[in-house]
Amino acid sequence: MLDPLPQESWSRANAKHLLQRAGFGGSPEEQEAFYQLGVDQSIEAAVDSLLETNEDWSSVPWPEWTQSEEDPNGETYGGQNLRRRDFNRWYFENLNEGQPLAAKLLKFFVDHFAIDSAAIGQYYRYIGLFRYMDMLRKHAAGNVAGADHPFEGDERLVPDGHYGNFKTMVNHVSWSIAMIRTLDLYVSIRNSINENFGRELLELFAMGIGDIYTDDDDEYTEEDVLAAAEAFTGRKIYGYRYEVNDAARRQNPPLPPASIFQNNNQQDNSAKEFYGQSSMPGGGDIVDGDDIIDLTFNSIRTAKHLSWKLWRYFASPEPSKDLITALALRFRDTHDYEIRPFLKDIFMSSEFYDASVINVQVKDAGDFMTCLTKQLGAPLPSRDAMEDIMQQLGYEVLFPPSIAGWPEPDGSGNTWLSTGAMVFRMNMPSIWSHHNYAIFTTGRTRGSMEDFPELDWETIAPSNLRTVENFPLLLDALLERLLPNRSLRKSQIRTLHDRYSTVTQQLGSLEGVKELVQLILALPEYQTQ
Amino acid sequence: MNIKLNRRDFVAKSAWGATASLTLPGFLQQTIFNLDARAQSLPSPGGEGPIILLMEMAGGNDTLNTLIPYTNSTYNEARPTIRLGEEHNILKITDKNGPSATGNDEALAFHPNLTAFNQLWQEGDLGIINGVGYPNPSLSHFTSFDYWHSAEPNGSPKDGWVGRYLDNQCDGCGATTGIYINRRPTLAFRSGQGIGPTVTFANSQYFNWNDLASTGKEKSLEGLYRNLIGLDHAVDPGISEVDDTLAYVQRAAHSAMISIASVQSAIESGGDLLYDQWPTNGLANSLRTIAQLIKGQSETSIYYARQGGYDTHNNQIFTGDPLTGRHFNLLQTLNGALDAFIQEMKMQGNWDRVVILTFSEFGRKVIQNGSLGTDHGAAESLFVMGGQVKGNEFYGLYPDIAEDARIKNNSMDFNVDFRTVYRSVLEKWMGVPASAMPNIFPSQPVEFDPLDIIKPL
Repeated sequence: MLDPLPQESWSRANAKHLLQRAGFGGSPEEQEAFYQLGVDQSIEAAVDSLLETNEDWSSVPWPEWTQSEEDPNGETYGGQNLRRRDFNRWYFENLNEGQPLAAKLLKFFVDHFAIDSAAIGQYYRYIGLFRYMDMLRKHAAGNVAGADHPFEGDERLVPDGHYGNFKTMVNHVSWSIAMIRTLDLYVSIRNSINENFGRELLELFAMGIGDIYTDDDDEYTEEDVLAAAEAFTGRKIYGYRYEVNDAARRQNPPLPPASIFQNNNQQDNSAKEFYGQSSMPGGGDIVDGDDIIDLTFNSIRTAKHLSWKLWRYFASPEPSKDLITALALRFRDTHDYEIRPFLKDIFMSSEFYDASVINVQVKDAGDFMTCLTKQLGAPLPSRDAMEDIMQQLGYEVLFPPSIAGWPEPDGSGNTWLSTGAMVFRMNMPSIWSHHNYAIFTTGRTRGSMEDFPELDWETIAPSNLRTVENFPLLLDALLERLLPNRSLRKSQIRTLHDRYSTVTQQLGSLEGVKELVQLILALPEYQTQ
Repeated sequence: MNIKLNRRDFVAKSAWGATASLTLPGFLQQTIFNLDARAQSLPSPGGEGPIILLMEMAGGNDTLNTLIPYTNSTYNEARPTIRLGEEHNILKITDKNGPSATGNDEALAFHPNLTAFNQLWQEGDLGIINGVGYPNPSLSHFTSFDYWHSAEPNGSPKDGWVGRYLDNQCDGCGATTGIYINRRPTLAFRSGQGIGPTVTFANSQYFNWNDLASTGKEKSLEGLYRNLIGLDHAVDPGISEVDDTLAYVQRAAHSAMISIASVQSAIESGGDLLYDQWPTNGLANSLRTIAQLIKGQSETSIYYARQGGYDTHNNQIFTGDPLTGRHFNLLQTLNGALDAFIQEMKMQGNWDRVVILTFSEFGRKVIQNGSLGTDHGAAESLFVMGGQVKGNEFYGLYPDIAEDARIKNNSMDFNVDFRTVYRSVLEKWMGVPASAMPNIFPSQPVEFDPLDIIKPL
């Protein structure tokens, strides 16, 4: 298992598949160049080019209003609604402009470590959210260069580690304002336990439950939930978002604004039993959150759960248990939970290019949006439009359906294709093709798109291909851009041809092209990857 | 276009409907257009038949503070700061006490915000089912909801109980027989056989093909699009025989195009609602849409609405005042929205057609936690309402919370399996024959006799 794909199996179809899954596809030119890289050098060289860790996210800075000297939460900026829309669009800028694999991983983390902005609360909301996303995107970029603190203010509390390691990331998440608020850690103290974080750490972030990916590994018990909850106690938030001059209200030693600290008096320091163990592998009692994370990540169940989730995200919905076991051993034992080396194993493997993996995913809303804008070479819509679109697609980043995030497609992708979302996916391309804003739910949104630019139609459909006689070439060019690895049925091609001929004669070829693009993007075929 | 198109019509009109591929795996073979013909009974057509409204309270409702055992000493000791008592204007049920697992009846009261519930109780249109749950309760939101949605506790759920009900009992009914007002779908509706006759959408106004309305052009690509996906095509069915994923999405597209016609037609013919004091919030908007569809005689027999936010680990009440906080606000919203819906149904003359069933994935722990909240528990109380519900009646037993707090992981123990409640609604209200139950509920609880929740004819 997990043998590398033989060099002679490298093909244009495989290259497109990899580009699509490790990122958001590419233009026809990018697809060809990527394929040639694999031919001229090696598959490994092509895979390595996807794994580069040079993304520092400097092209997607925090909005200006978060830079306020007075208050990093943005007290000087207008209402919550504007901040919310700014944040939402900023997230999609990250997906659109980040190094593709880093952006793809960021989207995975946002789902895996979902946070609830309502639970974070207004006081810490935006500083909490931006710090959190910053930490996630550094892990997504896998930038291991030196820095071992996720964000200013919490560094002294975060154990050694670096970005791009799953276990370290869980630890960083457990020290973030966003998660401490979302899962009630800030109120969980010795002798007055709130089990919320302890339970979800085990169930969602690490070990998982059930027998989908393993038959023979013990589940944790209710006693383990309690032990984990007891270990993560006394994590408090320093209650000022900005420097205060009143000496009496300062912590000793002084803490940076809105930072996390460990209140030792509120921590449960008792020795615990956890997952059948009464001491750490190297000796010593099981006491705090670090210990619980260590033990959790020592278990093969955690490695299997995370391997399963990552395989489903990047490859296919129903991996065999044997494959998951092989992956889990690589992830835990070979790579010590380093994410990129693990992904390299996946992207190099024969299994990743199996027929049961190609084209079997329904694009989630983030893939759908990001692929579409990249293929069309269009800027992101306005912040108002982005919010409207994501509400209708069922992907509101600030409001996950539950703390389990957005449930994954389970085979047939139906969690992303509610009937309403399906209808919106059919309507949505007309935003770009015809500036059709009637599909937005408010006048405010429609107004915000007044100056949205026209697409670069000459790049999408060069003029010399637009004669009716050249229709086959025109359609090829459009499909190469919009539906790589898919073909249309003859009946569809005939229908499109007839329509194109008619509209071109009546309204000109540009209108014909616009309708072609709108209809292709609305097809069921476009929803898969 | 034939806006009342239903599956039976469609099969008759379609060149391909009767010849679905036999090469597809079973779960993709059937569509809303060609379910096999083993149905025993059909839901009644739109505008006349019985209706179920499933009211999901997501997050784990604290039913101990919803239906309060206000004289119970364990309750009052376990919840020193979040307890609700007579001083909080709780709505005491004075005509009878609730049978309890202890053998002694429990004095119970509605949360002070549940005024509509209390009134329905007095009018005889609301029943209370206490001690509802299932064996080996999961305290995970997600697993427990999977169990409730699939009606297969402690299994590996693949499809939903409503989905299986329609798979088995709904040959020939239309594409919108089940409607969930939400952005994302529910496992409860998932068919075991591909795309079932159910749809999920959040806002009916935008549940429509809408291509060029704003551009001033007098043309629509809707017909062309239907042709492209094979919906109205003479020879091309538009469903892949070799690619399961694509076939699934193609069927979803077909379902969507048929559903929008059906929903828009019902909304249009329904016109304005009759009750004029609807609150404005997410849940009320969902129930408004449902009320509009009912008024417009939609073919729908199962509606589903959801209110989230019940995961009250903290600030279930705010310090010092149990008449504040998250749970207080949630129940206020629930009561207001349901009250408007009930008034509307009565004004429409449809109250006798509707049975509302509330449920949550679990109840919460008996003993409060350290942050003015409660952690995940097990059994809960359900409410069933409707003009034909045999109300003013307790079903099941109120749990022995003193014992449960001690030995049952601090969670209430169940004595009515939730599958029995589902069965009761299907059998007593929808008229599903008992012989169909093994197909709809492949895993049956030990005690599976339906409750008598509907008034005798």
